Amino acid sequence: MKVLLLLGFIATALTAGPSAFDGAKVYRLKPQYEGHVEAIKNLASIIQVDFWSPDNEEMVAAHTNVDIHVSAEQAPLLETLLQQSGMEHEVLIEDLQSAMKNQFDNKQRSTAGYNYEKYNTFEKIEAWTASITAENPNLVSRSQIGSSFEGRPMYLLKLGKRTGSSKPAIFVDCGIHAREWISPAFCQWFVKEAVTTYGSDAEMTRLLDNMDVFVLPVFNVDGYAYTWSKDRMWRKTRSKNSGTTCIGTDPNRNFNAGWCIIGASNKPCSETYCGSKAESEVEVKAVADFIRANRSIIKAYLTVHSYSQLLLFPYSYTTALAAHHSELLAVAEGASNALATLYGTRYTSGPGAVTIYPAAGGSDDWAYDLGVKYSFTFELRDTGRYGFLLPESQIRPTCQETMLAVKYIAKHVQDNLY
Amino acid sequence: MRWTLWIVLGLFPLVDGHPTLKTNQNSLETADAALNHQSGSLNSVLHLDDTEKAALEPTRVDPAFPMKELNTSHYPATRAARVAQHYLNYHHGSPSKWFMVHDIKKASSEDIPEVGTKYHIQFSVQEQATKEIVGNCTAEILFRQTEEQSAPEVNCTCDDLLKIKTSDADHALYHHIKHQPEPMAGTDIPDSQGNIPKEMEPLWYLGGIGASFIMWQQSNESTLYNMAHVHSVKQLNSENDLLAFEYVVLLHDMVSQEIIHWHMQVAWNPTQGVKVTQCHLLPKGTMKQPSAEKHKI
Repeated sequence: MKVLLLLGFIATALTAGPSAFDGAKVYRLKPQYEGHVEAIKNLASIIQVDFWSPDNEEMVAAHTNVDIHVSAEQAPLLETLLQQSGMEHEVLIEDLQSAMKNQFDNKQRSTAGYNYEKYNTFEKIEAWTASITAENPNLVSRSQIGSSFEGRPMYLLKLGKRTGSSKPAIFVDCGIHAREWISPAFCQWFVKEAVTTYGSDAEMTRLLDNMDVFVLPVFNVDGYAYTWSKDRMWRKTRSKNSGTTCIGTDPNRNFNAGWCIIGASNKPCSETYCGSKAESEVEVKAVADFIRANRSIIKAYLTVHSYSQLLLFPYSYTTALAAHHSELLAVAEGASNALATLYGTRYTSGPGAVTIYPAAGGSDDWAYDLGVKYSFTFELRDTGRYGFLLPESQIRPTCQETMLAVKYIAKHVQDNLY
Repeated sequence: MRWTLWIVLGLFPLVDGHPTLKTNQNSLETADAALNHQSGSLNSVLHLDDTEKAALEPTRVDPAFPMKELNTSHYPATRAARVAQHYLNYHHGSPSKWFMVHDIKKASSEDIPEVGTKYHIQFSVQEQATKEIVGNCTAEILFRQTEEQSAPEVNCTCDDLLKIKTSDADHALYHHIKHQPEPMAGTDIPDSQGNIPKEMEPLWYLGGIGASFIMWQQSNESTLYNMAHVHSVKQLNSENDLLAFEYVVLLHDMVSQEIIHWHMQVAWNPTQGVKVTQCHLLPKGTMKQPSAEKHKI
């Protein structure tokens, strides 16, 4: 066995060259037992294993998918190991070289057949995060930042040219509130734009060369699934509350920013229930942990909601002006103006507390107080005619115009790095 | 005149509550008394006595009751304008005509001690079917400080309102519905993906106009209402020449984020306009919520 492995290693070393990825494969391994985890770690110590998810072998754990890229020569070795261990697995990419070639040949570099102009179920979005990552390995990587209350994975996409060193980053999340379906639709659209226009659109290319963009397409995965299966108007998480049958906490009242002092309810049955304590919700904690861990590189935080056509910034938990109020207002107004150029859609800009309502526990205020200066909340279309039930025919124009605002903000951030 | 105003305001503490349209939380009196539809004129349709009428007269600037200029982007102006929108829709809307506030141009408010707060808003509205913008609306909205919810009192005029000509569309629709072999009915408008079948659109508008009455009645300075969804609509047998429908509508309050369900009966014909003849709040959990499941691809 060891001789074979050694030969495999030599063969790999000798074949490194311009078509180094010919026949290379990407596998998804599904370790169930500690034995499987051990086997993967062993393999990684003997041969070259390029971890796509998680980031390295230390993070391999049972019941978490492991996506790895191995060369053509090592693939048979891996297959043997998989057969011997009985580990469940699938091949995500048969030939990495041709997948990469496709990326440059096709205009449709996003997942073929994926519909960005329809509202997609959680399962579809989850599968899409895998395939968009697999199809764009130079630009996209995926990690799991946690699991929801009901055990659904929270996938985070990282967009950006891989440079080997860490770059300043923007964090974008969608779908904090389950019924705001246009929001996850926007995050999917943004990723599609990134992978299809990188290299051809100057602004997008500059952004992804100089920065990384973290995109959380669905923050409140349990709530989102619930809007598909049971209640289209659900807003909160689906966590249980003690002493009541009422379910869920408002994630955007659950961050540690003036938590529960105003504009939030301490009653679990309320739509703005702030939770039993700040970050009581696992989903909120997962995002907060990630942002905290990466606070030194995260320069902007964008959170996408609907509806009302507003571009808000701190503070919402107080009417006091943020230290950077003037700059944030100027950026918001510039972004709103950019948005309006496409279809004339009117947005109102301002601090949350006076523009919409005072509300404590919001993610934008929390990120801002953590030191993320450029912190914005989008409330997308419309102003009430359809409200949460925005027609699918409006997904495209809404996303197109919102891209202009996001790019405006991203440009300002790049020009004003701190 | 000025003296009258002073005396009237002095008498306010003696005037108890609000006449015809006493609104308790759960049901509203028939709006029959409330609807006095005269085309072209937008008088308040409340049967007010003289004291209340005087309170709604154009305000003279008086240092005792200072006018506060409001930021038109901020929520006090937005909420007051929304009330005017609901009022405008109920008095001028139809299954072919539905207004939404387009742009707030100027806003101010004054606190009237022992009474409440009166807002003055200048705004434009956009009609949703024709996309026409009616530029010049002015409204006074009085939110009384009362223990229980009471409907804001509104005085609203718009220039050019009549330029939105929908009477042909309304008459055509009326005849179309009148001559249907079966009573009309629908559910889930719009559906989860925002779709509305073409033949349901007028009933969606009509629901919105009827709901405007409820939203007007339920509004205060801490609410911002929209109709989120028509859960169901069913045509009822018409007596006289009014068409009648029974609705269950979902209203969304942006401030509390709550969604409330109201049952209402709506009567309409093109000349008399829309009336809500009955309505009541449905307790939470009564209705099975709309599900997107049938639309899964």
